[in-house]
Amino acid sequence: MQQDILLKMVDISKTFPGVKALDGVHLDVQKGTVHALMGENGAGKSTLMKCLFGIYSKDEGHIYLEGREVNFKSSKEALENGVAMVHQELNQALKRNVMDNIWLGRYPTIAGIAVDEKKMYRDTMAVFKELEINVDPHRLMSTMPVSQRQMVEIAKAVSYNSKVIVFDEPTSSLTEEEVEHLFKIINMLRDRGVGIIYISHKMAEIKRISDYITIMRDGKWIATERADDLEMKDIIRLMVGRELTNQFPPKTNKPGEVYLKVEGITGMYNQLKDVSFEARRGEVLGLAGLDSSGRTETLESIFGVRTRKEGKIYLDGKEVRNRNAQESIKNGFALLTEERRATGIFAILNIRDNTVISSLKRHKKFGIYLSEKSQREDTQRYIDAMHTKTPSQETKIRALSGGNQQKVIIGRWLLTEPEVLLLDEPTRGIDVGAKYEIYQLILDLANNGKTVLMVSSEMPELLGVCDRILVMSGGRVAGEVDAKNTTQEEIMTLAAKYV
Amino acid sequence: MANPVTKLRNTAEEFKIKSPKDKKRFIVDSILNNALYILMLIFVIYTAIMKPNFLSLGSLANLITQVAAYLPMALGIGGCIVLTGTDLSAGRVMGLTAAVSAVFMQKLDIPNRMFAAMPEPSVPWLLVTLLVVLAIGALIGLVNGFFVAKFSLHPFIVTLSTQLITYGIILWFFNLNDNNGTPFGGLSDVYMDSVGGTMFRLDNIGVPVYVLYAVILTALMWFIWNKTTFGKNMFAVGSNAEAAKVSGVNVFWTTVLVHTLAGACYGYAGFIEGVRSGSVQAGTGMNAECDAIAACVIGGVSFVGGTGKISGIILGVVILRLIFVALTMLGVGSSSLYIIKGAIILCACALDMRKYLVKK
Amino acid sequence: MKKLFAVLLALAMVLGMAACAGGGDDVTNVSVFWYDESDVYLGSVRAALNAELDKLENVEYDNQFAANNQTTQLDQITTAIANGADILVVNVVTSGAVDIAQQVLDKAGDIPVIFFNRAIGADDSEVSFLKDNENVCFIGTDAPEAGHIQGKMIGEYLVANFDTVDLNGDGKISYAMMKGQEGNVEAEYRTQYGVEDANAVLTEAGKSELVYFDASNTDKYQVDPDGAWSSKAGKEYMDTNLVSYNEANDNMIELVICNNDGMAEGVVAALQEKGYNKEGGHHIPVFGVDATDNAKALIAAGAMTGTVKQDAEGMASAIAGTVNAIIGGSSCTAAPATLKDDRFTIDSTNSNKLYVAYAAYTGE
Repeated sequence: MQQDILLKMVDISKTFPGVKALDGVHLDVQKGTVHALMGENGAGKSTLMKCLFGIYSKDEGHIYLEGREVNFKSSKEALENGVAMVHQELNQALKRNVMDNIWLGRYPTIAGIAVDEKKMYRDTMAVFKELEINVDPHRLMSTMPVSQRQMVEIAKAVSYNSKVIVFDEPTSSLTEEEVEHLFKIINMLRDRGVGIIYISHKMAEIKRISDYITIMRDGKWIATERADDLEMKDIIRLMVGRELTNQFPPKTNKPGEVYLKVEGITGMYNQLKDVSFEARRGEVLGLAGLDSSGRTETLESIFGVRTRKEGKIYLDGKEVRNRNAQESIKNGFALLTEERRATGIFAILNIRDNTVISSLKRHKKFGIYLSEKSQREDTQRYIDAMHTKTPSQETKIRALSGGNQQKVIIGRWLLTEPEVLLLDEPTRGIDVGAKYEIYQLILDLANNGKTVLMVSSEMPELLGVCDRILVMSGGRVAGEVDAKNTTQEEIMTLAAKYV
Repeated sequence: MANPVTKLRNTAEEFKIKSPKDKKRFIVDSILNNALYILMLIFVIYTAIMKPNFLSLGSLANLITQVAAYLPMALGIGGCIVLTGTDLSAGRVMGLTAAVSAVFMQKLDIPNRMFAAMPEPSVPWLLVTLLVVLAIGALIGLVNGFFVAKFSLHPFIVTLSTQLITYGIILWFFNLNDNNGTPFGGLSDVYMDSVGGTMFRLDNIGVPVYVLYAVILTALMWFIWNKTTFGKNMFAVGSNAEAAKVSGVNVFWTTVLVHTLAGACYGYAGFIEGVRSGSVQAGTGMNAECDAIAACVIGGVSFVGGTGKISGIILGVVILRLIFVALTMLGVGSSSLYIIKGAIILCACALDMRKYLVKK
Repeated sequence: MKKLFAVLLALAMVLGMAACAGGGDDVTNVSVFWYDESDVYLGSVRAALNAELDKLENVEYDNQFAANNQTTQLDQITTAIANGADILVVNVVTSGAVDIAQQVLDKAGDIPVIFFNRAIGADDSEVSFLKDNENVCFIGTDAPEAGHIQGKMIGEYLVANFDTVDLNGDGKISYAMMKGQEGNVEAEYRTQYGVEDANAVLTEAGKSELVYFDASNTDKYQVDPDGAWSSKAGKEYMDTNLVSYNEANDNMIELVICNNDGMAEGVVAALQEKGYNKEGGHHIPVFGVDATDNAKALIAAGAMTGTVKQDAEGMASAIAGTVNAIIGGSSCTAAPATLKDDRFTIDSTNSNKLYVAYAAYTGE
């Protein structure tokens, strides 16, 4: 048995400031098997893979490839040693053609100077034939659908003679037919003795394709079993089975009359389809679902930063148009975005500027002049109210921790005096203590009669903070559950409804 | 605002408790972060020793005058750089508006007067001229801003295009009425005196009225940058356009207005340039944007976006003019002038970027 | 703000330190301002002038270059005055409007100003400007003279070689004209007289007048778009011209007149690429002005036909002589007359205007 183990990861630990992301995880991948790696978002699957590929350096533990200890410094080095990864987000040179992408960084050359296009073409065709891929090597990547680009990625892995191939959520954007083709290829690779690590949320797929399943939770290894020995409900239990301690403040808010009504929102450039729901004053409505199930798109469509094809939004019975952020803010909406760095903070500006940017009109004197004094007062009020830890208002926001940055941005939105708060992953990347404060803040807002919509990938958080939870799947509303009387299993089942 | 003495004392206290390694690092950092100013100081002292007149009152008047002349364009271009952009059309816009100013304000009795129909130059007509050139500058800026904001084109390519177009218009303008490209001279006394007239003399060097105007313009720009919604929005867009959009900032109009304001600044710069060059030719203003951009960058308006101060721009212009005056006095010739200028810009940018690199 | 404050503080300190320094001496500081460092002819003037000024006792001089930017030059002049210059020698950038000269005088106050080479204004304005101001003189060439000499030289050459030059034998010579800069007085005169005077000679000899090669160009010249009188412009224009005007189309350009030797060099280079103006090829006559060393070499090699000699040494010795006379106590109006040299002529109307003679040059 032992000699069949291709890749062995032992006692892998990794700590980020404030978070123990991996805690003594181990994983054995045998020759000619598909090994599924499962866990909730944030369970540590990607971190583990990043440690394997040298994107993160592990703090502790050992990695053995065919019995020899390895310590890759980069994914390129891993690739050269026969460990490849087919990413969820394909990192490809879209403006180059298929074979350029496959042989990138190791072009065959004539006399060490000119690129040997003919050899490149022949070699590409050989790999394609083996994998039964029907793609013209001269085709430009950007002209191809995601499924085919993924095939190219797989072909690249095979062309390196990889012994271990990691698939990260490979089917998330494939049609059923394409999934069949993918499985055929995976089976073929397995038969050739390749060890495959398969990361996915989709139970049915996992059951079908994998030989072994390893389940992770909270950065820890939970179980490794033969796939045949596990029922779907066992998997879910193992994945979410954490006891809910006192992570959440007591819920005291009382939902009132219906305030926000969303009717049939369908996206112009995204997968949203006929999303309808209601939210009450003083209510915290959760939005659950897998990644790319349309939760973020829903919030952004309501806020007007994504184009709606159809759909209406009513506030207190009156229709509001919310065509862009300015209009939405005027109508009393606020949006805390998911990507804090990309669309939240102004890294280079100080805390005061970051706080007042959405509510400048409050400080206007004589129609043009902005009062420094009132800006200072507003900023100080929210630094105090939210217990933001900062040396001064003039400190650049990038110097703060994630939690404190988030508090500043929430302060920014509270200054616009919103009635409806759209919070997209409000606690992402924030340490536990700060999370509690943000939960408290959300409940306080609800207590004051505000309507809060909250997207989160952490299910316990939704169960602990929300009144109702809307479960989204494949751009549609898959169902609605009462937070008090639901289980994570019920939500997971709904989340998989349309995928 | 802590007072400087306390601040210095605090720094000294902090310094004492540092480990030797940290102390060394602190000193190296302080020297590098202020390297430009240290170099400038050494340079000034050297020049002063070689040419004592460098530090005369007349020399100061000369320096102030030049700073006042170069400042308006830098103030305009600064906004574009805050938005992570640039503006290559600035020099030509200045050339065009200088030409228009000159034609509007030509004396009645000169033989080669460009447009016979122009009224006699007077103070009200001068104000009309100023408004016209501001409008021309703003219009070109508006075109720049529109294409940058609407089509997300890089300002480099947009303003390169408008630079060429503007030069074409300048050449066409100089060939109107059988002018055949002759420079526009014969500027009226009203124009010359209201803009370039001597306010007072230091030693034998006169300080012209436009120094006063430059002070007013600087105050106005400082107000716009720091005390208005538009100014705050400009920094927000420059720092993170996506976040600004979500925060309810109208990114499109902010971008358009920054360029428009910049254009108006170039228009004003042209209005001054007409007087300064005494007679305007087609080449007037060529490459003037290089100095303006350089001044901004030296003064810490970073291409990273979202940072920059009016005081920094002033400092940048002062440093550039200081180099010019000092090297002119030292009589080193243009080759050294260009080399030193280039080295200073490179050095300033590297030191600027270093501040961002260290933080990571 | 803090840094600005720091720099101003430092400046003030140094100002205070050096306020005690300074003081007068017997040395005369001469500042020479050139419109551009890269002008070939002025380069030879500069070399000669530096040599002449080195010979004068108690004279210190420096050269400043304005990179073809009038505003820069005015800033340099102000700086030089602040630096204590005693005599200003100025080669203006913007030629053709006396406003510049007036500005220089306003800045200079009592300091004598010697303008040279580039005309400070068009005819009438220059005359009255020099008449009205005592503290100034002009050393240059009689702007139209170069054009006249060039035109006459061309005319005489054509009369002697008409049939060789007339490639297509239609009895007319088609020509191209390269102008150095729009609005520059010298360029305007040379463009005008280079053709007019040649036509006069041709007509007298019973030949037909020159015909501009491109009938659709009503300007009848091509001008350096940068106003730099550059060989690059000459080369590029000629390259383009030869594409549609050549012997194959029977409309070859048969003569090229250039405002200066720089442009002529470019034209010759373009012609040589097409096999003309070298051993064994047909020679298209090319004329320039300035008699630079390069042009002289081309003429010696037979690639160029003629040029008009601007006397660089003469110009330099006239400037240095005037400087010397002013130091000796002479006024600007009187200084030029003290120079005894048959290369120089004093203008009939203005005693403060001195011409250095031109001469036709077709080889040693």
